[in-house]
Amino acid sequence: MRVRAATVTVLAAVLAAALDAGAASQAQTVTGTAVIGAIAKLNLSTSSITFPDADPDTVPTIAPSQGAITITAKARASLGATVTLTVQAADDFRSGTATIPAASLTWSATGAGFVGGTMNKAAAQTVASWTDSGNRTGTQSYVFQNSWNYAAGTYSLTLTYTLAAP
Amino acid sequence: MRHLLRILGVTAVVLVVASASASAATATQNVTATATVAARATLTLSAATLTFADANPDTTPSIAATEGAITVTAKGRTSTGGSITLTTVSADDFKSGTDVILASALTWTASGAGYAAGTMNKATAQSVGSWTGPGNNAGQLTFALANSWSYATGSYTMAVTYTLTAP
Repeated sequence: MRVRAATVTVLAAVLAAALDAGAASQAQTVTGTAVIGAIAKLNLSTSSITFPDADPDTVPTIAPSQGAITITAKARASLGATVTLTVQAADDFRSGTATIPAASLTWSATGAGFVGGTMNKAAAQTVASWTDSGNRTGTQSYVFQNSWNYAAGTYSLTLTYTLAAP
Repeated sequence: MRHLLRILGVTAVVLVVASASASAATATQNVTATATVAARATLTLSAATLTFADANPDTTPSIAATEGAITVTAKGRTSTGGSITLTTVSADDFKSGTDVILASALTWTASGAGYAAGTMNKATAQSVGSWTGPGNNAGQLTFALANSWSYATGSYTMAVTYTLTAP
């Protein structure tokens, strides 16, 4: 019926107006927290280097069979902090009771922040250093000083690398 | 009746707070370095020939080599405590055709640590130097030929072999 339809329309309009006049909003605050901790991750392309025998007269310094070591140092540190990579020998080269000084091992380096050096069993030696967090890559090329004064034998030496992110 | 519904909007403000941990971090990796040192011997002599000129046995009973002293460099790598030896032996006596001057007419004196004097011998190697352990050993040998009226004239030759051993 016509009268009924007209009544519904009016009621709908009145209800809509009432809703518009009473509209409201509500704000909520959510706090999100992200913890960024110091992390250090070190990767070396090889865990062993081998120096073959050679004539000291013709080969005064011996390169390892494996070639250069590729180093990837990833670190997160506080702003402005110094991230360091060091290496230290556990002892001298040893073959039974015969020894060759750890200092007979030297290296050169490539890559931003990487430096050359001489192995030391008493104190950690700097391989690289950087400021702030980052992902750094470089290479380290060792050489072994040859000599007629070395007793015959197979010598070994453990080197420990330490990446520190303060 | 249909009820009209309206969804009320809610505004959320999200605050993100990032904080860094105060604790340091380290990572370590080990590398094993291995070096092979084999036994090895290298011998160097400053001259490959010695020449003894003719001389009056009365006035020159012992003839020095024209070349002077031979400088010897004996380099050897052996085990710790191992013995490195340098010896010499002649292939034969001095010979000029069928004429002979005994190898033992040739003697030498020596200087340098580990070097020793001696008399040439064609049957048995004679010690020239000996050392313990690896090293680079330099010295000098000064040869002399005993002169004599009993020698037949001629031009005599004799080959001498030096052997350096580093076990």
